[in-house]
Amino acid sequence: MIEGDAATSAPAGARTSTDVFATPERRVEGHGKVTGAADFAADIKRDGMLHVAFVGSPYPHALVRRVDVSGARTAPGVRAVLAGADVRPARFGRRLQDWPVLAWDRVRFIGDRVAAVAADTLEHAEAAAALVDVEYEEQPAIFDAEAALADGAPVLHPDAADYAVVARRGEQVKRSPVPHPNLQGHEVHEHGDVAGGFAKAARIFEHTFRVPPVHQAYIEPRAALVWIEGDVTHVVSTNKAPFSLREQMAQTLDLPAESIVVHTPHVGGDFGGKGLSLDEHALVFLARATKQPVRSLLRYADELQISNTRHGAVIHLRTGIDRDGRITAHESRVIFDGGAYAAGKPVNSLMPGDAMLTLAGYHVPAARVEASAVYTNHLPAGHDRAPGQPQNSFAAESHIDLIARELGIDPLDFRERNAIRAGQIDIHGDQWHASEVPRVLATLRREAKWDAPLASSHPSSAQGRGRGVALGVRHVGRGKTSMELTLGPDGSVEVKTGAPDQGGGAHTMIQRVVARELDLGPERVRIEQLDTATSPVDPGVGGSRVTPVHGNAALDGARKIKAALAEGRAAPITVTGTAEQQQHMYGAYAYAIEVELDRETGAFKITDATLVADVGTVINPVAVRGQLEGGFAFGLGQAAMEELVIDDGRVVTANLGDYKIPTIGDVPKLRLVLITDAPGPGPFGAKSVGELANAAITGAVANAVANAGARVYSLPITAEKVFAELHQGHSPA
Amino acid sequence: MNGFTYHEPTTWPAAQDLIAREPDATMLAGGTAFTLLLRQGLIRPTTVVSLRRISGANRILADSHGGLWIGAMATHSTVVRSPEVRRNWPEFADAAATVATLRIRNQATIGGSVAHADPASDVPVMLAALDAQVIVRKPNAAPRVPIDQLFIDTFTTSLAPGEFIESIQIAGRGPNTRAVYLKYTPRSVDDYATVSVAARAEVEEGRLRAPRIFLGAVGGRPMRAMSVEAALGDGTEARAFADAAALVRSDIDPIDDVRGSAEYKREMARVFVERALRTLVA
Ligand SMILES: Cc1cc2nc3c(=O)[nH]c(=O)nc-3n(C[C@H](O)[C@H](O)[C@H](O)COP(=O)(O)OP(=O)(O)OC[C@H]3O[C@@H](n4cnc5c(N)ncnc54)[C@H](O)[C@@H]3O)c2cc1C
Repeated sequence: MIEGDAATSAPAGARTSTDVFATPERRVEGHGKVTGAADFAADIKRDGMLHVAFVGSPYPHALVRRVDVSGARTAPGVRAVLAGADVRPARFGRRLQDWPVLAWDRVRFIGDRVAAVAADTLEHAEAAAALVDVEYEEQPAIFDAEAALADGAPVLHPDAADYAVVARRGEQVKRSPVPHPNLQGHEVHEHGDVAGGFAKAARIFEHTFRVPPVHQAYIEPRAALVWIEGDVTHVVSTNKAPFSLREQMAQTLDLPAESIVVHTPHVGGDFGGKGLSLDEHALVFLARATKQPVRSLLRYADELQISNTRHGAVIHLRTGIDRDGRITAHESRVIFDGGAYAAGKPVNSLMPGDAMLTLAGYHVPAARVEASAVYTNHLPAGHDRAPGQPQNSFAAESHIDLIARELGIDPLDFRERNAIRAGQIDIHGDQWHASEVPRVLATLRREAKWDAPLASSHPSSAQGRGRGVALGVRHVGRGKTSMELTLGPDGSVEVKTGAPDQGGGAHTMIQRVVARELDLGPERVRIEQLDTATSPVDPGVGGSRVTPVHGNAALDGARKIKAALAEGRAAPITVTGTAEQQQHMYGAYAYAIEVELDRETGAFKITDATLVADVGTVINPVAVRGQLEGGFAFGLGQAAMEELVIDDGRVVTANLGDYKIPTIGDVPKLRLVLITDAPGPGPFGAKSVGELANAAITGAVANAVANAGARVYSLPITAEKVFAELHQGHSPA
Repeated sequence: MNGFTYHEPTTWPAAQDLIAREPDATMLAGGTAFTLLLRQGLIRPTTVVSLRRISGANRILADSHGGLWIGAMATHSTVVRSPEVRRNWPEFADAAATVATLRIRNQATIGGSVAHADPASDVPVMLAALDAQVIVRKPNAAPRVPIDQLFIDTFTTSLAPGEFIESIQIAGRGPNTRAVYLKYTPRSVDDYATVSVAARAEVEEGRLRAPRIFLGAVGGRPMRAMSVEAALGDGTEARAFADAAALVRSDIDPIDDVRGSAEYKREMARVFVERALRTLVA
C-alpha cells in the first residue's frame, strides 16, 4: 500500500475501523511540554546547590606543566577547585575511556578541561575560574586526519594502552589493535573477487569527497546535577541512555554500578549527540569535595566548541562498471576525523556506526572497504543521527550519479539497474532476503514525475534548472529491553520503562502498542519513566532501536496480560514485557529534488522535493511524518549551509548566528510518500524512521545542482562553491 | 555577568541629565545587541540607561514635504508597518523587513542599529543611500549629523561619550526618485548579508541621474561606491551598468568569513550593484 500526502494511514493488517494507529496521536508528554510543566535537566534544583565553571585549554595540543589553583581557592564564594591531579586517573567515554575528566598531563583540543570550580553562584565560579593559572608547553598539533596517519606524526595518546573499555552487558571487551597509534578505530572488509571484478569492468570510476564536522544542533544544551547521599551518587543528566551512562560512570569512578542512580528528565532533542555526557564526571568529584549538590549548564557556545560533533571525513571511492552498466566491484577508503578523543563513540569499532556503508542499497558483488577514525587536535567527534551515513551517503550518491551521467545513463535508471534485490548481496557482503529498494525507486519515478521533461529555462537566462535523485537505506535497530506493565483493577495499564523520550515519541509509541493489543483507548495506558535504580535495564534511545525493540517489549507485555486474563487471573496483574530484536533488516528511501540555480551568484533554491520512504506499519502517524520531514530539513542544513568551521583548532562558528541551521523559511515543501505494507520486525510490522531520511538528501541536492551545471565534491554546497565551479578561472577554487 | 545600576528615564531631558552625570553610562534600547555583548563579556557596564520608557521616542512622523522623522526607539517592525514609511519611503520599510526574524525585528530599534554600527547591518546602509540625518543629543545642543559621517569603523561611530541618538530624519523624495535595497543571504533567509546594496537615483525615461550607492558587509562601515557613482555620471543608460558595476571592487574592502571569501564578496558586490541599478530603471 502506498500512501500519498493526503491519505491517513491505515496500517497493514488493521483489524477494526477504530484502530488506534489510524488516529493521529496525542503525545504522552505533549501537555507538559506545551504548558511548561515538563522538567528538563536544567529545571531540576536541589537545596544548597553549587554552580560550576571549567577552565579550558587555549591550545590545541600542549603539555600541562603546572596548574596553580591557589588564587581561585580563596576567591569569594568558592567551595572547591579541582585540577587534573585531583581526579587522576579518571577518564570517561562511552566505550573507550580516553577523555580525562580533567587533563593532568596533556591537553588535546582547545577547550579541553584542566580545572573545575564549584561556587555559590555561577558568577563566583566563573570569576574564580579566570584566576586559575596554568602553565602549558605547546606541542605540534594535527588538524588533518590524513596527516595524522603519516609516519612520524606526533602521537596524541601515548598512554593508550592504559585506557579502559566499558564492559558490554557485563562482558569485558578488549579494544581491537590498530595499525597506527593515532587511529581510534580501523576496519577492513572484503568480500567477493575484488581484483577480478575490477579486471572485468568496462569502466572504472574514482572520486574523492569531503564532508565537514557539523553539530547536532538540538535545542536543549547539556545540563547536569550531581549529589551524594550516603553511598549513593545521584546524577541528573540530559543523557538519552541512562543505564549506559551508569556503566560508564561506574568504570570511570571505579564504583559499583548500583551505587550510581541516573535520573533523566525530558530530553530536549538529541540527534545522536546526547549519548555522551561530559560534565557529570567532574561534578562527582566536586560533590565529594564540597558535600553539596553541584550542577553545571553548558552554554551553547561550549556545545559548539567542546561537545561531540559529527565526524568530518574524506572519502575515496572507486567502482568498476560492466558493459551493461552494472557494478562489478567497489573499493573505498574512508577517513573520519575523530578529534581529540574517541569517547563519544559507543560502538566497539570506535567509528561512526555506518563507517563502512560506502554504497547503500545496491548489489555489490565484490568490495573492499577500509575505514578509519583518526585522532586529531580538533574537538572530539561522536554520534549524530545515522552516524557515518550522511558522510558516506553524500559521497556514494554523488559518485553513482557521476558514473551514470558519464555513461550516458539516466541516474534513476542506473540506480534501478543496480538496486539490491532479494537474494543479492550488499556492500557488507550480506545477503538480503527481501528488498523494497526497487519498489521505492519505481514509486519515486512515478510520484516525482521523473520522466516528465524539466521545465526548461530560457537559454540566455541567468537561471539554470536541475534535477537529482538519491537512494538511501537504514537498518532497523537491534537490541533488547524489558519493561513492567501493570493492569489495574480499573482496567487501565501502567507501563514502567527506563527509556527516556528524547522527543522522538518513544513513550507515545509504547502507549499505542499496548492500547492496540489490549483494545483500550490510548489514554488508559500511562507511561512512567523510572530512574536506573528502579527500572529494568534498558539500552536507551538510539540506533533506530526504539520502535522495533521497545515496541516489541510493550507488545510482549500486553500479550502476557492478555494471557493472564485468559487464564482467569484478576487485576492487578503485573508482567514484564521483554524483547530481543536481532533481525537484520533495512528500511529504504529515495529523494528526487529539483533546483533552480542563479548562475551569476551560484545560489540555488529547491523548487520541488519528493521523498518515498519504506516505513512499515505506522504507529504514530504524526511522529512518522515529523521524523521524515524533520530528517529532510536536518539533512538540508548539512547539504546547503552547515559546517563547523575550525581554524587551527579553534571553532570559528561558535554561535548559532555563524553556525547556520535551516529556519522554516529555508525548508521547501516536501511531497512525502509512504510505503507501509512491507512489514518490519517491530510490533505489528513497524520499522524505524528516526534516522531513515536525513542522509541521502545531501546527495540528491548535489546531483540536482550538478544537473543544473555545477558539481560540488564537498559539503556544504555553498553558493560560493557553485559559483567557483561555474566560473572556473575567474574565481578562487 | 556583574551587577549594574539601571535607570529608566521617561523624557529625553531626563535621559540627557542622567547621561551628563554618568558619561560612562551604557545606553540600552531594544537590547538585542546589548545582551549579546554583555553575555560574551565584551561590555561590563556599571550604569545602564534604558531608553524604553521615554515617551514618544518610538514615534514615526511624516512631514509636509514627504520626509520622515523616525524616533530612535522605533523598532524595525514599527518601521515595516508604519503607514508613513510605507507612503513616503516604502523602500526603507523593505530594507527593515530584511532584518533577521520577526522576533528580532519586534525588539531591535533603528537607533540601536545605527549606534551599534555593525557594518553587516541592513538599515544603516539604506539610511546612508537615502542621505539620512541623525539628530544627536548632547549637552546644550542637538546637532544633525549626516549619517555617512556618523559611521567610522566596525562598531565605531563619531558619537562621543554622553551623546546619543534621538531620531533620524529622511528628506522627502522627488517625483522621479527611485530606491532599492538588495540583501544577499545565500546560506539562509535568516542571516546577515554576504553583501548588501542600497541604491537611490533620479530616473527619467530609463536614464539614471544622481546615483547614491552604498554597500553593506564589505568594509568597516556602509561603503559608498564612489567609482561606480562617478562612472555612471548623469543620464546613464542600462547598457552601461555592467561596466560601471565592475568598478565597485575598488570601493570596498571585504574580509573572508563564514559568509564568503573576500573575493566572492567582491564578485557578488558587482552582481548586486548591477542588479540594483537595473531595478532602479525597471
Ligand atoms: C539573532 C539576531 C539576528 C540579527 N540579524 C540582523 C540582520 O539580519 N540584519 C541587521 O541589520 N541586524 C541584525 N541584527 C542586529 C540588530 O539589528 C541589532 O542588534 C539591533 O538593531 C540593535 O538595536 P537594539 O535596539 O536592540 O539596540 P541595543 O542592543 O539596546 O543597543 C545596541 C548598541 O547601541 C547603543 N544604543 C542603543 N540605542 C542608542 C541610542 N539611541 N543612542 C546611542 N546609542 C544607542 C547601545 O548602547 C548599544 O551599544 C541581529 C541581531 C540578532 C540578535
